[in-house]
Amino acid sequence: MKKSIAIALEDVHLTLGDGAGRVHILKGIDLEIEQGTSVGLVGPSGSGKSTLLMVMAGLERADTGSVTVAGTGLGPLSEDQLARFRGRNVGIIFQSFHLVPNMTALENVAVPLELAGDGDAFDKARAELEAVGLGHRLSHYPAQLSGGEQQRVAVARALVVEPEILIADEPTGNLDDSTGAQIVDMMFAAQKARGTTLVLVTHDPNLAAKCGRMIRVRSGEIEETVATAAPHEVQA
Amino acid sequence: MSGFVPGSASRGHQTFPLAARFALRELRGGLKGFYIFIACIALGVAAIAGVTSVSRALTEGISREGQAILGGDLAFRLIHRQAAPDQLAYLEDLGDISRVATMRAMARLPENADREGNQALVELKAVDAAYPLYGAVALAGGRSLDEALAQTDGIWGAVADPALLARLDLAVGDTVSLGRGTVRITDVIASEPDKLAGGMEFGPRLMVSDAALPGTDLVQPGSLVRWHYRVRLNPSPGLEALEAIVEDARSARPDAGWRVRSRANASPGLQRSIDRFAQFLTLVGLTALVVGGVGVANAIRAYLETKREVIASFKCMGATGGFVFRIYLVQMIVLALIGIAAGLVIGALIPFAAAAALDGVLPVAMAANIYPTELGLGLAYGLLTALAFALWPLGRAHDVPPTALFRDIVTGGTKLPRKRYLLATAVTVALLAVIAVTLAHDKRMAGIYLAAAAGAFVLLVLVARVIMHVARRLPSMRSTELRLAIANIHRPGALTPSVVLSLGLGLTLLVALALIDGNLRRELTATIADKAPSFFFVDIQSQERDAFEALLAAEAPKANLQSVPMLRGRIVSLNGIASEDFVPARDGSGWVLRGDRGITYDATLPENSKLVEGAWWPEDYAGVPLVSFDAEAATDLGLKIGDQVSVNVLGRDITAEIANLRDVEWQSLAINFVMVFSPNTFAGAPHAHLMTLGWEDDVPVKQELALLKTVSNTYPTVTAVRVRDAISQVNDLVAQLAWAIRGASSITLVASVLVLAGALAAGHRSRIYDAVILKTLGATRARLIIAYALEYAILGLTTAVFALFAGGLAAWYVITRIMDGSFVLMPLTAAGAALIALVLTVGFGLIGTWRILGEKPAPVLRNL
Repeated sequence: MKKSIAIALEDVHLTLGDGAGRVHILKGIDLEIEQGTSVGLVGPSGSGKSTLLMVMAGLERADTGSVTVAGTGLGPLSEDQLARFRGRNVGIIFQSFHLVPNMTALENVAVPLELAGDGDAFDKARAELEAVGLGHRLSHYPAQLSGGEQQRVAVARALVVEPEILIADEPTGNLDDSTGAQIVDMMFAAQKARGTTLVLVTHDPNLAAKCGRMIRVRSGEIEETVATAAPHEVQA
Repeated sequence: MSGFVPGSASRGHQTFPLAARFALRELRGGLKGFYIFIACIALGVAAIAGVTSVSRALTEGISREGQAILGGDLAFRLIHRQAAPDQLAYLEDLGDISRVATMRAMARLPENADREGNQALVELKAVDAAYPLYGAVALAGGRSLDEALAQTDGIWGAVADPALLARLDLAVGDTVSLGRGTVRITDVIASEPDKLAGGMEFGPRLMVSDAALPGTDLVQPGSLVRWHYRVRLNPSPGLEALEAIVEDARSARPDAGWRVRSRANASPGLQRSIDRFAQFLTLVGLTALVVGGVGVANAIRAYLETKREVIASFKCMGATGGFVFRIYLVQMIVLALIGIAAGLVIGALIPFAAAAALDGVLPVAMAANIYPTELGLGLAYGLLTALAFALWPLGRAHDVPPTALFRDIVTGGTKLPRKRYLLATAVTVALLAVIAVTLAHDKRMAGIYLAAAAGAFVLLVLVARVIMHVARRLPSMRSTELRLAIANIHRPGALTPSVVLSLGLGLTLLVALALIDGNLRRELTATIADKAPSFFFVDIQSQERDAFEALLAAEAPKANLQSVPMLRGRIVSLNGIASEDFVPARDGSGWVLRGDRGITYDATLPENSKLVEGAWWPEDYAGVPLVSFDAEAATDLGLKIGDQVSVNVLGRDITAEIANLRDVEWQSLAINFVMVFSPNTFAGAPHAHLMTLGWEDDVPVKQELALLKTVSNTYPTVTAVRVRDAISQVNDLVAQLAWAIRGASSITLVASVLVLAGALAAGHRSRIYDAVILKTLGATRARLIIAYALEYAILGLTTAVFALFAGGLAAWYVITRIMDGSFVLMPLTAAGAALIALVLTVGFGLIGTWRILGEKPAPVLRNL
């Protein structure tokens, strides 16, 4: 049975900067990512992989071409519509965690639910934190948590809205190997269990190899797409 | 797969309450970084709440003591004459009556006391046995007033202000001559309940019994005596009933010519002065708040800079730009409210502190209290100013891109916020201006003040930009220190805008006020004194006029003498409209309608006057009464040639037609009148004469005093006003006001210093970075100090130059256009302003950088 398409990019171009500093970053990207699959974006620094991730998350607008994510064409959406779209459909995990320093772990995880108007925000956030093993750290502030714990909070925050798309930018970049491995396992387990589409950017070939598909980006173009024998791939 | 529906129900979830919840969570981090913000708002709010509360406390004090200040529930005042029998009967029907006579007179030492300065102008008050109806006269010796004023051994007793005893070197028990009589000083006045009702005083008080007055011969036909009839109503009615009685007194006796006041309006002149002064100080407070607003904007900009990541995170999680704006708007409001609360507490305490500090200094006890309306005004101004300065930087938070989390983006762009935020800023600023102008007594002046302040603000923004632009374009300097200083002036995050804007505004205001004050006093002491006569002689009786003139001519042969008939009268109606109901065409000359005016008649155009419209009457004119009106007053009142002016003189209403308009040079202090009538108007009316004496050249004080002594001894009932004394009296008053104004305006400088400190604190981190890098590369501390001092000195001096220019322009406008005076730029004031600017910028700058210079490179470099 053919899987439905979670992310579809068609001839996407993107240029950033002004005047002499203008850089043509994405040069005609065509890409389809099926729902429930995992994709690793790899490539050298400056190749455009993070920008590609941002376009998929609705954080950056393509100059030309079309971007359809979770069945919604992002082109015509206003800034605020894009924000609400992200809140409902996209969970994002960052390399530097980006938790709100003056909010507790529980509050940080509840934020996207509160923004979406979910009345059970705190109950769901609590459950999500328990699921990532932080049920005992609910009222701790980010500064009181280790790097690994902070990233687990970030994962819980990304998953709590049950997003169709999970985006991760170098999710283990700031963590030691064993903690990084725990986070990766957690991410893939969640993706498998919930049927989420996972797209991540990494420099780590081992992490990329865990994805069902690896896309190599170079100079703003897709150089090659490699199907891997990923054990985590969800069978539809 | 669930498709996303743009603009669906989720729009309503990012509500204000949710934003408030997020905001409060963010504020858990404490107030670090916001102390300057809070202090700026607190300072301005405290100034406004304090000034308005003190003014209200004074007003309430006057109102509470209205009966004592007025001397009764009602007060009727007549000039030149006492109440006619029927008028007296009317007053006696109302309640208990007390009659008081006031006039200016000369108190002299007995003739054998041969020393200089043996006479003094006094404000004489003759009181009856019923005086005072309310309150009590306190005497230093503790005896009762009746006892002190009683006649002993054929000499009437008198009580005097301590200033009179000091001036004439008198002691209790000494006698002084008064007119053709003698009184003995029996005690010293400690307090006088109705002192405020008297108006401007040119000399110390001397109080006698009204039974002592006839013996002085001071009361002659046409003498400038004011007769006050105070009435105590039994029982004392409410304010409405009181107003009804006032109306009845005016309408039932339209020809009485008396001025009626009730305890509800005991001292309108003082009240007006308090109101105007308070309005002015409120505007000054508002300026302090605006200067502080620069600190608010700086603090918010710096705070939002540190929050870019959090904002971007919110946006990644679905927060809209508007929601982000609301989160930080709530935080700003909470912080502003903390500052406002602190300001309100201080402002509420100020009347109590002022009441304690001014106890015994003010002629009225302040009703120190907490006044919610005045505090509310402080709150409104504080909140609106905070919003006016915060909305712009907050609006920029709307557009922080979520991609800021993924890549370093150069921050602090100069992109304008969205239109809605610009509009909100404009509306808030407009609202501030509308409130300030609406609440001002003189709306035109308030408008000019605000426009000037806004103009200065915009100009200063431009000046800061020009300085940065010029610094950027300057060719490279040889001196490393100078090069570093210039680079610091134009680099992103430079101190330039903060210093120029905040210090510039405060300094401009201070320069303008100092120049206005300086020029006013110069006019008073130099210009006026040069042109003005040396003496005014009042109450010269017609029969003694020629002899008096002959005496002056003999004693001062080189002096110029001018003599005019003089009466006092009150304008009762203009073109048939009662002066109480008359609405002037524009502000400025309302004083003409208040109280009584000196009036005269003349067959020819007086000196110091220039006919600007109409024609002077023939010397032998005998038709309907005509009057010549001061052109400026006529324009202000909306009067023109042919209009009818009715004045009450000596109890008679006289209506005259305006025949011409004159320009009068008031500053000359020569004999000038708003109204000069045709001679036939007052044919046969008893009146006295006014004479001036002036020398072409300066004469020694000794010669002036010798003439004064001769005149006082020969004509004891003539009152001599020495212009030098009067000017010094006014000068003292101006000086006191100037100190109060300067004190209040220095609050703006304190606000400037706060902003400066805030800007320095905000730039602290980058300064440490610079200093450490430069030290690593071999810069010594001395070189760094020179570089920083140069930077601060350039900024301070440029700001001082602007402040001198803008403040000078403002002062020139006020002096020449509003006060019709002549303007001189004063170098000392200019140097003072430059010095203040330099001391503040270089001083505070170096204090702020001192610690930076001591930083050791290694630990800083590790943490960078």
